[in-house]
Amino acid sequence: MTGPRQKLLWALAAALTLALPWLISDRYIQHLLVMSLIFVIFASSWNLLTGYAGQLNLGHAAFFGIGAYTSALLALKLGVPPWIGLFLGGFLAAGSGFVLGIPSLRLSGPYLAITTIGFAEILRLVAMNWVSLTRGSLGLYGVPPLPGFFGIQFTTELTFYYVALAGAALALFCFRRLTRSEFGLSLQAMREDEQGAESIGVSTNRFKLTVFTVSAFFGGFSGALLAHYQRLISPDLLSLHETFQALTMTIIGGLGTLTGPVIGAVLLTFLSEGLRFVEDVVKIDVRLIIYGALLVVTILFMRGGIVGLWERLRAGRGQDTEER
Amino acid sequence: MESLFLQQVVNGLIVGSVYSLIAVGLTMIFGVMRISNFAHGDFSMLGAYVAVFILAWLPGWLGWVGSLLAAAAGVGLLGILIERGLFRPLLTRWTDLDQIMVSIGLFILLENLAQLFFGATPRMLPDPFGEATLNLGLFSTSVMRLLCFILALVIIILLQIYLNRARMGVAIQATAQNRKAAQLMGININRVYSLTFALGSALAGLGGVLYGTLFAIYPTMGAMPTLKAFVVTILGGMGNIRGAIFSGFILGVAETLGGSYISMEYKHAIGFIIIILVLLIIPHGLFGRSEE
Amino acid sequence: MRKVSVAILALALCLGLSLAAVSAGAAEPIKVGILGPFTGSLAHNASEMKKGMMLALDQVNAKGGVNGRPLELVFGDSSCKPANGVAAAKKLLSRDKVLVLGGGYCSSVNIATSEVANAEKTPVVVAIAISPTITSRGLKYVFRTSPNSPMFLEGINQWLAQVKKPKTVAFFMENSDYGRDGQKIWEAQCKKIGAKVLSSFYFEIGDTDFTTQISKLKKLNPDVTFNIASTTEAALIQKQAKELNFVTQWIGVGGQFTQAYFKMTGPLSEFAMGSSLEPTKAMKDPVTAAFVTAYQKKYPGSRPGIFSSQGYDNLMVIADAIKRAGKLTGDLAKDRDKVRDALKTTDLKLSQGTIKFGPDGQVHTVFPSVVQVQLKNCQSDTYIIYPPERAAAKYLVPPPWPPRLFMLRWGPPGRGRGALTAPGGRGAPRPYPLRGTGASFVFLLLVRTWNRFFCNKWSTA
Repeated sequence: MTGPRQKLLWALAAALTLALPWLISDRYIQHLLVMSLIFVIFASSWNLLTGYAGQLNLGHAAFFGIGAYTSALLALKLGVPPWIGLFLGGFLAAGSGFVLGIPSLRLSGPYLAITTIGFAEILRLVAMNWVSLTRGSLGLYGVPPLPGFFGIQFTTELTFYYVALAGAALALFCFRRLTRSEFGLSLQAMREDEQGAESIGVSTNRFKLTVFTVSAFFGGFSGALLAHYQRLISPDLLSLHETFQALTMTIIGGLGTLTGPVIGAVLLTFLSEGLRFVEDVVKIDVRLIIYGALLVVTILFMRGGIVGLWERLRAGRGQDTEER
Repeated sequence: MESLFLQQVVNGLIVGSVYSLIAVGLTMIFGVMRISNFAHGDFSMLGAYVAVFILAWLPGWLGWVGSLLAAAAGVGLLGILIERGLFRPLLTRWTDLDQIMVSIGLFILLENLAQLFFGATPRMLPDPFGEATLNLGLFSTSVMRLLCFILALVIIILLQIYLNRARMGVAIQATAQNRKAAQLMGININRVYSLTFALGSALAGLGGVLYGTLFAIYPTMGAMPTLKAFVVTILGGMGNIRGAIFSGFILGVAETLGGSYISMEYKHAIGFIIIILVLLIIPHGLFGRSEE
Repeated sequence: MRKVSVAILALALCLGLSLAAVSAGAAEPIKVGILGPFTGSLAHNASEMKKGMMLALDQVNAKGGVNGRPLELVFGDSSCKPANGVAAAKKLLSRDKVLVLGGGYCSSVNIATSEVANAEKTPVVVAIAISPTITSRGLKYVFRTSPNSPMFLEGINQWLAQVKKPKTVAFFMENSDYGRDGQKIWEAQCKKIGAKVLSSFYFEIGDTDFTTQISKLKKLNPDVTFNIASTTEAALIQKQAKELNFVTQWIGVGGQFTQAYFKMTGPLSEFAMGSSLEPTKAMKDPVTAAFVTAYQKKYPGSRPGIFSSQGYDNLMVIADAIKRAGKLTGDLAKDRDKVRDALKTTDLKLSQGTIKFGPDGQVHTVFPSVVQVQLKNCQSDTYIIYPPERAAAKYLVPPPWPPRLFMLRWGPPGRGRGALTAPGGRGAPRPYPLRGTGASFVFLLLVRTWNRFFCNKWSTA
């Protein structure tokens, strides 16, 4: 992060990110931008848990759904201002993340994966069947938007972009601080060798619970953002497919890296758009076929995803390798 | 006088037998290779589609027997190809995480390729008994369902005999118990891997034919057997074949009884609730793990 | 950290390029957006709707299109998930700049998408979704070319009150708005006619094992079991009811009676009932007959179901409204308003019947009939049994399984292929001479034995 050239690049990128929705008047692209930012938060939070801490959570959609339902229900039933609801949704998700973290202290690999899937599935069934509260599969519609201030209304894609951007920046900042700190290093040590980490004095239990809580908070936060943006939520938010989406984005971008999920989320959100032209020709939904194929190919031949590939290319050219 | 309780137990046992069959394949693969295959249920889906095509081409009894054989052979062969192509090259360097994610990718891929090639239209297999029913006083069931149950049991028993008597069967068990020791004893570990994966996949394919006979066949049908098989496998202890057999029946009966007497809406949650409880109390499942 | 900035720059560049690609090339045809669950478990039904729409599209474009310009359909996949539906609708509205939004299958999706379209001041014409909420919110741009759920079930309600008069009923519904809305309506009617509700069960879309619920239902033994379900689930329920030897009068909405359904259930679904707008059942109507003929010409060997007919009507209404709106100005907002105004005065005779919108944008002129699946000429098919003036058959009380079983045991086993063909060649359905009482039982057996010997195949696939 030194040198005027890099500073300039950074400033340019920041300016571009800020100006992006103004450069693009197409509201559908703006919508995709907002969605990709929400998924940046969601995928990054999954990445923190699975990529950095090595805890395979296949029920991350549970946090997404808890955040969305909490914030939406608080606003609809109790009139809690959505700005507060966003964080309350996150906190409730964090609480449930802590609870889910407890069994994970003793479980790993497929055991943890199935337990977390079970957790999300049970919650999905609750959302489907507690009709008096959640309206079941019909979902909650008419979720109030984020209230505006200074005359800015957060009902359009353009304005919401900045809210989502701020959220993503906050999340990425937190993740960066966490993973760069001693805490993050211990996490990685734990991921590589749990017993070894414990033997050098890393308290794995405490770390796991903390990571579960933080990751769940941002999972819930992104769900709450989605609820107030889309203004409609349904039990599908809790389904395995949402988790798989975060998983695919992160792995294709680069598991265990900060930028990986960001690249993956933006890329895959727009990929489905690009594939529309293919779909018009072949007349079928090829998006998921390509997701699946990309996932397999990435793990088999491109470990580290796009970020890993980029780093290898740079290393191949013999340039200085900077810290991640 | 019909007994609701007995009827539900019978329903549960029939579904449970198919769960067992599919889960045994999964647990075998895990026991020997430490692979948790999330695409296992999609092998069942492919097996079911093999039956659809065989029965369209050759209806009646012969087609039925043929489709069982073809599903086992076809899916088993596919299992070998997938093991060689996807799982083998990374066996040495991957972690649990990579391997599970490869199988998730395979799951997404197979499900959607099936949609592309077979279409979304659901199908059912014709019943060679003309849907004949058995009314046995205390409960009723169809001849076909009973046959499915018996077939599942026979396949499981044959597998047990193979694993305990045949040379390669014993080699598979030895590898599951201790890979290094087995290697030292002169077992060709790669052959064992291929055989296990083929056998496990073939079982999934057979289970798929039976599952398709009891229920319906469509491209996304694989997700349900995958999750059920994992629940069963964990309940029985991953890698424990006998555990998986018993747990399959336990899950089937628990689901129907729970659905009947506790809550119909949360029927699919029952398996998950059981494993969460079991894992909190006995982390290695009801029947323990095969290794360690 | 530099690669972050590089990545962002690269992404921005990609976006810019894709934007440039979009703005190039002004479209000559008039674009109509079509929403539907084209992937996922309802993909099959959505494709039926699409087939109907493609037929309408062919017909419109063969006549030189609308005001000299061809129509073009742009499809958006909702996968029956509200979030995906909203994204697809947004894409169609702001990216493809469609003039009108048509199609629409799942109610939960359409409640959301109609709101999106209304906010964009784009007319949205819903084809299939039946939840009353869609048109009851006073949205000015929302129309629906099919009956909503109370209308759909009105015929069955009358039939229950006047013909069946059940003492006990049970509900076995899909856990969706579709199932829950239906239950509300029927529950109210049951209260009115004094039928006791014994129990209500729900199942998840995609469930395959219904033996638990059916065993319980069997114990309760209701006169009527309401069963709102989609094709696959409904077919499996019929099959498993047979396997568990459970007899009841099944009543659904009727959407399940598709070609795939009969292929799966064969004679097992006999006596099941629903409410239906099946075009093939209303062949007395020349407009409907013309639609069926055209459909079978375009898709040989297939039979238009309710969704095909609803899809066809949907696009025809849209095309008609665009035509009456006159020459388009090119200003999308103005054109959309013009089409909306034209839609309000729609008055067409189409495959479902007369289509005229009420002030709420809902069609009030399409009346579904009550149908029952009956087995005639070796084919199980639906026949209108109520109201009497439209009836093509008499209501038959479902007999216990054993005599039905006797019938089934005869034919050669496992013949499944091509059992169900287009209804074109079949003669007009003959009603059974006796009313559906216990006395008709023996007669029924005779008719079936007759069928058995003179049919060379059973549709037990």
